[in-house]
Amino acid sequence: MTVMTIPPVQDETSAPFWEAAREGRFLIQCCPETGRFQWYPRAHSIHAPHARPEWVEASGRGELLTYSVVHRGNQRGDPYVCALIRLEEGITVFSRVEGVAEADLRAGLPLAVAFHQLDEATSLPVFRPRTSD
Amino acid sequence: MIDLSGKAAIAGVFESPRRDAPRVHPFALQMDCILGALDDAGLTLKDVDGLCAASGDWAEGGSTMDVVELAEYIGIAPTYVNSTDVGGCSYILQAGQAAAAIATGLAEVVVISYAACPRWWPLSSPSFDPFVFPAGPGQYEIPYAPTLISTYGLFARRHMDLYGTTPEQLAQVAVTFREHAAKNPDARLRKPITVDDVLASPMIASPLHRLDCCVVTDGGGAVVMTSRERARDLKKPPVHLVGYGAAVARTQNSQIPDDLTTPAALSGPRAFAMAGLTPGEIDVAQIYDAFTITPMLALEDLGFCGRGESGAFVADGNLTLGGSLPTNTDGGGLSSNHPGKRGIFTLIESVRQLRGEGPGVQVPDARIALAHGLGGTFCSAATAILAR
Repeated sequence: MTVMTIPPVQDETSAPFWEAAREGRFLIQCCPETGRFQWYPRAHSIHAPHARPEWVEASGRGELLTYSVVHRGNQRGDPYVCALIRLEEGITVFSRVEGVAEADLRAGLPLAVAFHQLDEATSLPVFRPRTSD
Repeated sequence: MIDLSGKAAIAGVFESPRRDAPRVHPFALQMDCILGALDDAGLTLKDVDGLCAASGDWAEGGSTMDVVELAEYIGIAPTYVNSTDVGGCSYILQAGQAAAAIATGLAEVVVISYAACPRWWPLSSPSFDPFVFPAGPGQYEIPYAPTLISTYGLFARRHMDLYGTTPEQLAQVAVTFREHAAKNPDARLRKPITVDDVLASPMIASPLHRLDCCVVTDGGGAVVMTSRERARDLKKPPVHLVGYGAAVARTQNSQIPDDLTTPAALSGPRAFAMAGLTPGEIDVAQIYDAFTITPMLALEDLGFCGRGESGAFVADGNLTLGGSLPTNTDGGGLSSNHPGKRGIFTLIESVRQLRGEGPGVQVPDARIALAHGLGGTFCSAATAILAR
């Protein structure tokens, strides 16, 4: 990854997410009362505010919803792709898309999660083209 | 419930003609603007009992107690203050709340003030800025280094995919506002441009080119509000606040709605309902234009055109002087000025249009104006409807 800012500040709520990411697993939260998923992770369920969400492993599959290729910005480095990805579970995450030429980027592109190790404490999920299911 | 419509009026406005203010502290620029707006109204600092500011962000000179710092700097002790900061539209929100304060007797003369000096400001961003701090919700996005422009790019790309909007239609927004800026002696950029010029300018964050982006200037402005009764006897004809609405929705990119609805869909209808008016009755509009996609989504959410129709609406010339909704008659943020939180200028230019004092293009006999802004990346919205 050519461009990166300071690492995420992990906290009590997010620790399981980053712990799993280090092991190459992408966790999302599920509401125990409604069964609905949520992103981003919180200490409460946005579907039932008194419920504590449970962590579940996501399939890691999704498709490209929209994107912007950063050619010039505050950071130095090669162009990179900021994107919204719709996961199979029906929630939308913000991430990077890698391994796709700019001309081949399009809404609906099938993607799968991959991980970049930033430092000992942090593996950052990114998305790459999905070749097979 | 008090009917707020028409209870308060804007009695004075002032926009700094500066676009570069090297080594001028933003508070010094604010003082120029405050005195200018008070003079415009025929009032003095001694009359002021309310102060609104949002000066705690980068290049604005203040900190978390910005309104206190500003009061001290200008030398007053106001008994009504508001430093609600919801981004660029903060000053429109503050105008609505100032009207409520005036209508209920909490304040009599309120100054709303803003300035920023991004062109020379030497300090880095405060670390608690939600757009740069990778903690809490931001820990899942900031590490990917999204830029402000790339987030607008996410909106613009999706608008193209959903509705067939073209880069040429986006470019037309910049071309139209430049036509207006060409007549404004204070505008940063005045040389007319074409759609091809926009498309040939460097790509910053796709699909937005350099000329799809606002200028970066130093600058500031101030607005003086008072009661309908008091405004009647002041120096300039009063401009009444007849409609107001505001809403906040999100900060994180992951929370962007699929159909790109923004909080303007909440602020707009509230403002029109208070005013008892419809979009078709607006004579002139000032709509925040940080990027070309910015006013397009607002046009849809405010009801000037249907969902997804803003590209054709712009391309058909509706935003030009002879169009159905002359917009950003001073050249807007794309061409005139954009220090960072441009909402105050939408109020100032609305007042100038209603007085026939527009420095760029002037809509003949404008009676009803709309000032609309957003904050962040369509995170918040505030709408004011003003009438003579």
